[in-house]
Amino acid sequence: MTLAAGGFVLGSSAAQAHSGTGLPGGFQSGFRHPFGGLDHLLAMVSVGLWGAFLGRPLIYLLPMIFPAVMAGGALLAMWGLHLPGVEIGIALSVLVLGTCIATAFGAPVWLASTIVAAFALFHGYAHGQELPSAADPVGYSTGFVLATGMLHVLGIGIGTLNALPGGAFATRVMGGLIWTAGLGFLYVAVVG
Amino acid sequence: MRGAALPATLLLAALGLALARASWRTWVCSLLALAGAVAVLSQIGFAHDWIEIAFLGCWASTAASAATVYLPRSPGILVGVFLSLNAGVWVSAVVALAGKPPDLIAAVPAVLLAVPAAWLTRRRASIAVKVACSWLIAIAMLVAALPFLSTTPGYLPDHLE
Repeated sequence: MTLAAGGFVLGSSAAQAHSGTGLPGGFQSGFRHPFGGLDHLLAMVSVGLWGAFLGRPLIYLLPMIFPAVMAGGALLAMWGLHLPGVEIGIALSVLVLGTCIATAFGAPVWLASTIVAAFALFHGYAHGQELPSAADPVGYSTGFVLATGMLHVLGIGIGTLNALPGGAFATRVMGGLIWTAGLGFLYVAVVG
Repeated sequence: MRGAALPATLLLAALGLALARASWRTWVCSLLALAGAVAVLSQIGFAHDWIEIAFLGCWASTAASAATVYLPRSPGILVGVFLSLNAGVWVSAVVALAGKPPDLIAAVPAVLLAVPAAWLTRRRASIAVKVACSWLIAIAMLVAALPFLSTTPGYLPDHLE
């Protein structure tokens, strides 16, 4: 699964995933979508990575909460409801999750679930805006939910490094890098 | 464009995952019920006006079947047979109204997800099944809502543009 995810990451580009108009639709397009935008990709992996840091029950609760709330966010977008600051929300998700990993923040279940659910709403909203109407929305939806879930699993897989000597330090460094990327995304979202 | 293969596959996958904790007897009875329902209903013509109801029933059943993995008890024969008959009805309806017979043949193997899911459950890794079911519920929730939208803003500029 992780190898497949890696293959998709290497084989996709921003232009393919976030091209906006005229999405071809279908399972493959939906599946590739989360791999194409670095902001989405880092946030999804971070959810799994943070979950791995937090252990049970959040290691499996977070990958369940994120896709469910993300679907809710997508519905908000498709119903045409306005959600302000989507770009900033997505950038903040990378920044905050990076911070949580870098500092190994041991949030209680309710707080970690709330943080992840809130950010999932923004990611879902962005996906919902892009869900194609003319193509195959069922395949597209299936693809992007499954890909999102697999990215969480990838993050959990990386999080297993924690069990190795020096592994926790390595994952915290990764959290720092994610935080740096989040800062960049936030700058772009705010300044343009 | 709405094909029948994917909705039918996902419903049967949800059924397979729902049966993961069930006994062998429940499996056999459920699969016989599914085969019987599909065999009978594939001979019946569905009115084309029912297409939206068929899809809605299919997605609602996918979510409901997937949700049963969160119940504290494993499904007994009655629940297993009910889920299978229900799945058989909606799969047959969707394939009859929006697909072709090969869609049914392509979708049926998805129920065999029960085998790896049962293997995981026996090894105390049932949480993987629950996570997969949460994804199925998210997909079902999302696509069930699609027909109720007046417009889908997929043609609008991307959020990164």
